[in-house]
Amino acid sequence: MKVHHRLLGLTGVCAAAAGVVAVAATQAQAVHTRVSSKAPKQIIVGTLYSSSGAFAPDSIPELDGIKFWVNQMNKSGGVYVGAFHKKIHVKLVAYNDQSSPTTAATLYSQLITQNHVNIMIPDFGSVLTAPAVAIAQEHHQLLFDATASGTVFFTPNNPYIVGSGIRNSAFWPDPLVQYLVAKHINKVAVLYDANDFDAAQAATINSGLKAHGITPVYYQSTPTTTTTYGTLINSIAATHPQAVIELGYNTNDIPFLNTLTTSGQHFKMVFTVFPGQLPQLFQQDVGTKGLKYTYTYATPPLLPYAKVNLGLNTPQFVRAFRKAFPSVPVTYPAMAGYGTALVAQEALDKAGLFTQLSMRRALANVSGKVTTAIGQFKITKDGAEEGEFLPVGQYLPTRGGTTIKIIYPKSLATATAKYPAPTS
Amino acid sequence: MPNVAAGASGQRATSAQIWRRRAIDLASVLVPTVLFALARTVDSNLLLLVSIMVYVVLAQGVNVIYGFTGYLPFGYVGFFGAGAYGAYVAVAHLGANAVEATALGGVAAVLVGVVLIPLLRLRGAYFAIASLAAALALSSIVSNPAVTSVTNGPYGADLTRVFSSGGSYWTAVVIVALAMVSVVALRRSRLGLLLRAVRADQVSASCAGVNVVAARTGAWLLSALLAGLAGAVYAWSISVFYPTAVFDTTISLFAIVFALFGGVGTVLGPVVGAVVLYYVYNAIGVNDPQYFQLIFGVVIVIIALFLPGGLAALALGARRRLGARRGLGGAQPVGGSDVR
Repeated sequence: MKVHHRLLGLTGVCAAAAGVVAVAATQAQAVHTRVSSKAPKQIIVGTLYSSSGAFAPDSIPELDGIKFWVNQMNKSGGVYVGAFHKKIHVKLVAYNDQSSPTTAATLYSQLITQNHVNIMIPDFGSVLTAPAVAIAQEHHQLLFDATASGTVFFTPNNPYIVGSGIRNSAFWPDPLVQYLVAKHINKVAVLYDANDFDAAQAATINSGLKAHGITPVYYQSTPTTTTTYGTLINSIAATHPQAVIELGYNTNDIPFLNTLTTSGQHFKMVFTVFPGQLPQLFQQDVGTKGLKYTYTYATPPLLPYAKVNLGLNTPQFVRAFRKAFPSVPVTYPAMAGYGTALVAQEALDKAGLFTQLSMRRALANVSGKVTTAIGQFKITKDGAEEGEFLPVGQYLPTRGGTTIKIIYPKSLATATAKYPAPTS
Repeated sequence: MPNVAAGASGQRATSAQIWRRRAIDLASVLVPTVLFALARTVDSNLLLLVSIMVYVVLAQGVNVIYGFTGYLPFGYVGFFGAGAYGAYVAVAHLGANAVEATALGGVAAVLVGVVLIPLLRLRGAYFAIASLAAALALSSIVSNPAVTSVTNGPYGADLTRVFSSGGSYWTAVVIVALAMVSVVALRRSRLGLLLRAVRADQVSASCAGVNVVAARTGAWLLSALLAGLAGAVYAWSISVFYPTAVFDTTISLFAIVFALFGGVGTVLGPVVGAVVLYYVYNAIGVNDPQYFQLIFGVVIVIIALFLPGGLAALALGARRRLGARRGLGGAQPVGGSDVR
């Protein structure tokens, strides 16, 4: 009982002390307000990247894409800021979150409250973007969402986020579903990782096929940490599918394809998500044998946009990026970083006032009218990107290797699909 | 009537010693609480401060279960994630406000703790591995598309409608105070004494009439409660999160290392460990992670080889030497280490 009395006493004293301190601290805290009438000496672009961990292979190229844009702007005298009718030098502040959402959360807060960034671009993917959403909204900081496709980010009451890179992943498989239906492929196996990015695609495929009277013969989720696919592949094989669709991150796609190669199983069609985005990585880790005749999303630069009205077009970007970063392969994340920075550039250019909301309004006005090296910039009223289109690509043999060709839709096709995939 | 009372160590203490001990206990609770409450006046990065407080609470939770029972929970993050998702379910389905949701997050973690009580039948590495497996299983269950209607499955949790950086900050301060009070009370209580007896020699304690299962279960559930509250307030502070973010095993590792660095079995050791190492992590790890990993690794090796009692052992040694010089001998350290 003595302990209980003491405990109560301690709790009371703590509560009282915390209350007094709370009042004092709240009153003492300075209120940060953004001054928008005077031109800043530099435009601060804040972002995070992951040098290690699960997201590093995508995050580092995305940062390189942003760096490329910053260098381009500064070479031309800075980024044009419409509110001040002049170009202003750009400074990039990038912190390393090591693929940790907890670390990312504190670093986003640091970018906003201590670095006072003007443009904020979150790290790669939904998991590392999520911690930024609420903190950005609270501090009235517009988030230029580069590669996150989270379904929970874009809500009517949050104007402080704009999809500037990739489209919500729920829309990605639309061409794939159309291709399956067009090819009369009725026995489809879908294996997907239990995360937002992949589950949204799986749901689209499932509902899209069912709309055409096709029920997948295999429809199973697996934890995102899965790297052992032997049993799963055998289970899929037991359903005798005409097409196998594996939806994961590159850390899943690579072991899936490698296991499939060594399993002795052969499917007429195999689709994975990331080979089209990170072809060099897959060539290195999976190899020609494992990739041959498999399908994937064809993303820029595989899908080139020659006619653009903002920044470089896709071939120009590829050439310039290779020159600027000779050791870095040109991948989709790099292009997404560049494309997102271009959207920020457009916001600074067209905003009548140097405020975050003014930039957001300016982007709503140009929605559907801007095309960059990664495609059309078009957003919903909630700010989600909806202009991007991802055709279906297939690895087809070339002299001494394989290359990804667009096989659907026909209007964009650069080759004819090889279906069913040959056994050798 | 003699002015003496029985202390937790079983020795009779004088009135002066009792009051001195109470003053130390009070300071052990008040100093960290007040410092965290004032921290926002010198650091505007509230999320950083909340993260540090979350790790302080987690380190104290590890302190409770490892420092008092010897069970090293590598899957401690399971309670953290359960707390985060408990808060989400409370807001999304029960219409709870943020403070109620935080409390319910703690309750959710305790419920998970109750389900996992059989793990306490295991010991050593077996327990550590089993707790890790349980956390991974829990993560897979929460993120399974089949439970989307409850947890929103893999699509992530959204608490933005109750988001309040100030509210989550002050709630975190209160939870730190609660964690400190819990550890102080446990250390001075009969339960704490029983746990120390069990940790020293389970068979002897049992023969002496100690209910080993009940004592361990008490510490286990208290530890789960602290982690659940920490997870819930963390979820509130970031508001949008995925299962991978709140079931990240790095969270367990950080909490364990912070507790060991500061000194398990003490009151202030885990606080010092969490604050120092998390600040070092943010100062060095962000821009030069390779150096941080090197430093972190070296620190762990040094602790394991030369300082198993953590920083608290250093303080205790220095105090004993000082006491010996003054002829006092055997003085109690601030925050004490009589648990070990």
